[in-house]
Amino acid sequence: MSSTIAVLAINGLVFGLIIALIALGLSIIFGLLDVINLAHGDFFMVGTVLTYVIFTVSGVFWPAFILVPLIGFLLGALIQKLVMERLRNAAELSIVATFGLSMIIQEVVRMTFGAAPKRLVSPIQGTFDLLGVEYDIYRIVAALISAAAITCFFLFLNKTKLGTWMRAVRHDRNSATALGIPTQSIFWITFGLGFAMATLGGIVAAPITTVDFRAGVDILPFCFMAVIIGGLGNLPGTAAAAVLLSFLEGVISGFTDPTIARIFSLVLMSAVLLFRPQGLFKGLAK
Amino acid sequence: MKLLVINKTLTYLLFAILLAAPWIIPVIGDPFWMSVLSEILIWSCFAASINFLFGYVGLLSFGQALYFGFGMYGVALGLTVLGLGFWGSFLFGVSASGLMALITGALAVRLTWHYFAIITVVFSLIFYFIALTIKPITGGDDGINFAAPEILKLGDLTLTIADPTTQYFFILAVVTLLFFVFKRLVSSPLGKSLMAVRDNETRAALIGLNVYRLKLTAFVISGIFAGISGALFALFGRYASVSYMFYHVSGEGVVWAILGGAGTLAGPFIGTALFILIREVISSYWQHYALIVGAIAILVVIYAPKGIVGMWNQILLKKSEGDKK
Repeated sequence: MSSTIAVLAINGLVFGLIIALIALGLSIIFGLLDVINLAHGDFFMVGTVLTYVIFTVSGVFWPAFILVPLIGFLLGALIQKLVMERLRNAAELSIVATFGLSMIIQEVVRMTFGAAPKRLVSPIQGTFDLLGVEYDIYRIVAALISAAAITCFFLFLNKTKLGTWMRAVRHDRNSATALGIPTQSIFWITFGLGFAMATLGGIVAAPITTVDFRAGVDILPFCFMAVIIGGLGNLPGTAAAAVLLSFLEGVISGFTDPTIARIFSLVLMSAVLLFRPQGLFKGLAK
Repeated sequence: MKLLVINKTLTYLLFAILLAAPWIIPVIGDPFWMSVLSEILIWSCFAASINFLFGYVGLLSFGQALYFGFGMYGVALGLTVLGLGFWGSFLFGVSASGLMALITGALAVRLTWHYFAIITVVFSLIFYFIALTIKPITGGDDGINFAAPEILKLGDLTLTIADPTTQYFFILAVVTLLFFVFKRLVSSPLGKSLMAVRDNETRAALIGLNVYRLKLTAFVISGIFAGISGALFALFGRYASVSYMFYHVSGEGVVWAILGGAGTLAGPFIGTALFILIREVISSYWQHYALIVGAIAILVVIYAPKGIVGMWNQILLKKSEGDKK
């Protein structure tokens, strides 16, 4: 029993890191563009589907890590240019637009890829002994890749010129423009980056979940939970909340139904919204 | 002609068409369109409940499916388990959703804008998952079915929703009443106070309005509207299912309300009618109608951000100003 719970807890950590990656994308789009992105789960789903296609066509998994985020970035930039840019400063319209976008993305995937869920063979076969339970090596690799990607993201945001510009635009759009930062370009770069991060989460998750055009619908509430519990606009908080939530859900689902674990997270989220709307991790905010 | 006169004439015309529909539709087409029309009427109440909060109080609720679900299950459980009969179950469903709106609203309306939108989704998700876990009561995604109950029994006269025409007129009567109440509410002192809160919360508080209580009242009224649509939908489909409590249902309602025109009386009806008609017409030729629905949603928010009715009113206004010159 205790080893089962340990495995569920580690599963929770692995998924938490993947969710953190996706939720960070959601958080930068929200924080910088003031867009409540209801299509973000579908961006993740696009990542899993593209990975599946690349893997079945070429027979190798790893090129997906270059191709898929690139496609995601371009799609995101295109969406910002064609749609979101035309409804700036109207967050409620962004909800409707991204809801429409979500319908279009799901339908296009259903048309081309098919409605039946598919499974991807893990690129790293094999298991190792974890507290007496056979555990997939790939899951550990997935966690390490996600952690590395999250680290790179924070390095990019804090150490590079572009990252600094993004933080400046998020902080104060008008002052940033006045200081000569190309705000308009930052907007589409941000949306592209958000999309790319969701697809990156999709690549990592593809071998351990099902590839399905509806996959985004299940993951979206979880990403929003991470963003809220971490504190809106607080990026390190978002990452920490994703890992914490997923870990807790893993542990709780060791004792009861996974649905009850999900209810627990949602109740926690309501409590955070009502009593600590700045998020649980205020100290992490910069 | 003045803007008001044109819109009033159109409203009466629409109502006349709706009244005559059971005789017109069998002549010009498939009787199947009668049930589409009923569905439009039911879902337009749902869109109206979102419009009431968003268009008149400025609160965007993304969790109205919760109250829709309570209305739906209130009717289903009232009929099957509690044996309350037609009107008893209807009342039970609507009061259950109103009570639920009071409890969740008491917490939710403390929050503003983004936080409000998100906590309403969270509340609806919590109850969605609870409803999934208590499958013996709710039937889960499969739902529970029941037989069409009798509306009224007077001697030899039995009215039942098993008769399609009776069912249609029952739905039309309830929906018309709801829109009438909506109109009265919006032009009442309560409605004016709500709009004051929407336009400037601080000023509303400073002139002595109790903002919290006003928002809560609006939230409960809106929950009751959603509950009525849920109760009607349960009677119409003779079943209740947890899948109607998912956030996607709320999302569709928000899209219908905003695209039709938030803050207008006819907007939710027009938005709902347009989308359901597109779905029904296109889905018989092409199964990927969701593509077109999504594209229309995006095009409308780009080119007509005030919704279809908002755009229509602007055109009329421009025309009448042009006439004066």
